[in-house]
Amino acid sequence: MSALNIHSHEEDFNLLETHLAGTLKRVAPPSDIIQRLRERITLPTREALTLRLHDWKTLFFIFGGVMSGMLLLVTIARALYYFAGRRHPL
Amino acid sequence: MTELDYNEDEILAEASQGDRDAFGKLYERYVERIFNYVYYRTGNVHEAEDLTARVFQRAMNHIKNYTDRGVPFSAWLYRIAHNLVANWHRDRGRKQEVPLDDLPSLPNKGDHPEKNLVHSQEQETLLKMIRRLPPERQNLLILKFVENMSNAEIGEIMGRSEGAVKSLYHRTLLTLRDQLEDQNLNLEGD
Repeated sequence: MSALNIHSHEEDFNLLETHLAGTLKRVAPPSDIIQRLRERITLPTREALTLRLHDWKTLFFIFGGVMSGMLLLVTIARALYYFAGRRHPL
Repeated sequence: MTELDYNEDEILAEASQGDRDAFGKLYERYVERIFNYVYYRTGNVHEAEDLTARVFQRAMNHIKNYTDRGVPFSAWLYRIAHNLVANWHRDRGRKQEVPLDDLPSLPNKGDHPEKNLVHSQEQETLLKMIRRLPPERQNLLILKFVENMSNAEIGEIMGRSEGAVKSLYHRTLLTLRDQLEDQNLNLEGD
């Protein structure tokens, strides 16, 4: 910061106010923050949840997704069990 | 939605009846302002995000209790934000000074989005001084310069008269000027 003579009381304040205005500027929060904040405060209403449960397509995809996931887990578990059994035969 | 067709009283009435869409409109209007306030009070983007979310969550939970007693909704929100920031400082044992490393990471309103704010040494020094001020004075400066509020508006938020705000502002400028002189630092004019 460079040195400079400050003159009168009023000039001091004017200069200080100018610098404060330059320092304390409004910042633009990133859009992802705004979106995350919206998601954090926005909870679906009871009506919206009921509507979702009445949507058979959504239910079908949810059910299908859960079943597929479970099937995949069972397959992986069986494969691991099979390979572990081959390595250590009784 | 423009300012003209934005009837805040009606929206507040709907929001206090549990209308989430109405609350969403209030959120859209005030989120940036509250974020800015918290950001300058904490000096940290992540904390500002978290605290801003908590401000709106608390507002949403208590909006039924909000009654218009001549205090604007914005003042009510700022008071919630002020209380949460005060708790945040108390919980972390931080007083006025917090690291300023985060501050240059957000662009100013109107800057190109990809252009980061580059604080000059003068601005950093001034920010450090502002952060050493008592919270009430920090609030005053943030509301005045970041939010461009009048003394009367600031008074509504801080629960003080317009004259008291003017007096506090004057004393704050004197303090800052004295600190600059104590450190033998002078601000450069244009």
